[in-house]
Amino acid sequence: MRLMLSRRAVTLGVALAPLLTRAAFAANVGESFVANNIQSGLDILRNKKLSTTQRRDQFETFLIGLVDIRRIALFTLGQYRRSAPPEDVDAFVGAFKNYAVAAYQSYFSKYTNQTLKVVGSQERSPTDFIVQTQLIDPGSSQPPAEVSFRVRTDGGKPVLVDVAYQGVWLSLEQRDQFVSFLGQNNGNVRTLIAHLSDLAVNLGKT
Amino acid sequence: MRLQGVWTPLLRPGKNPRKRRVFDVKRGLILGFCAALLAGCATTPPSPEALTANDPYEATNRATLKRNALVDKYVVIPTVAVYFILVPEGGRRGVHNFLGNLSLPTIFVNDMLQGETKRAAQSLGRLAINSTLGLGGFFDPAAKVGIPGHGEDFGQTLAVWGVDEGPYLVLPFFGPSNPRDAAGLATDALIDPTNQIPFKQHIWWAAGREYFTLLDLRAQTYQTVQTIQRNSIDYYASLRNLYRQLRQEQIRNGKSEKPADLPDF
Repeated sequence: MRLMLSRRAVTLGVALAPLLTRAAFAANVGESFVANNIQSGLDILRNKKLSTTQRRDQFETFLIGLVDIRRIALFTLGQYRRSAPPEDVDAFVGAFKNYAVAAYQSYFSKYTNQTLKVVGSQERSPTDFIVQTQLIDPGSSQPPAEVSFRVRTDGGKPVLVDVAYQGVWLSLEQRDQFVSFLGQNNGNVRTLIAHLSDLAVNLGKT
Repeated sequence: MRLQGVWTPLLRPGKNPRKRRVFDVKRGLILGFCAALLAGCATTPPSPEALTANDPYEATNRATLKRNALVDKYVVIPTVAVYFILVPEGGRRGVHNFLGNLSLPTIFVNDMLQGETKRAAQSLGRLAINSTLGLGGFFDPAAKVGIPGHGEDFGQTLAVWGVDEGPYLVLPFFGPSNPRDAAGLATDALIDPTNQIPFKQHIWWAAGREYFTLLDLRAQTYQTVQTIQRNSIDYYASLRNLYRQLRQEQIRNGKSEKPADLPDF
């Protein structure tokens, strides 16, 4: 009886092994992507040898290489993505890129003294991962901040599509703002672009 | 007849002039609160965006947020500035700890109501240690011996029990909320043991506690609120979303959300 059970366990293990290995591999794609790249971004922001312009340019290049800006921009437009003229949507993606670079730089520049540690990940689909990390401040007695990154791999290479600080997802918050703003401005994406451009300039100054 | 019975205490003050003054303040606050809520019924029909965002009272909520912002700007922030000048950081931390200690019985009850026995034991442990060794709660020795603090309220308990949050509301003075959290706020006030103690001038104790809670909260969130205001295209919508996401995080007690709950990109 015991022999039968152990045979069954071995058979089940052999049958599940490829699935488990694939899941573990897939999870590791997201985890290693975050572990290898996000710390580099923090390193750029903490590099005091760079001038403000150099830091901004390097961070922009870094961010565009990692983040699927177009996908996030289209997501934040909500239902207006379908009704807006294509040229307005393209112009919005451009304005959103400048805003995103300024906003991400503003958010992450507060954490340059901290180190990032990947603590786990969840698979939403075979190409969609949520990677959990902790931002550890060596000089603080406070518990580390929980930061999650959403990584997609359906375009062939891993890209970042969202980030959550203590459970608050940035793209969800941006989508609510933009959709609400468009609702009050007759769905005029051009007005949103103008406001977004002003905001990017103001964020760049801080 | 029944309605009259409900309203009678609001309409008939006591004979003692001292009690009547307190009564008038209470009555004013209750009537003002009801009037502000009822004003929501007299607004224009909600926009499709407001309905999609589960915010049918958006116009009223925006007006309330504006009024709250005025109170914040002209009353709360100047007081916070004076508080920062007069009370050093150590003192402010002591006040924060003391207020947190006062909330522990309510947190304990809500932990129990949610079936979170481990967290309930933590709340009880913190209350015992900080009320004694922490000199009435001004210090937090419990955290140093590995019993960290956590928040809990009846709004979260209702959520754990499966009660839906309902439409978004901005309450006068209290800010972002919803019917579930507003009911939770009122229930927590009933649960709080310090509100059960019958002693003279209780209203001054309650008002003082609320005042210092507001000061402490605003002192802690001052920079965050400024950042949100500066980085927002629509501050109201930003606040609404942040409130909802943060409440979800609190209801989950910091555990990660289910991946399926996130939207598709």
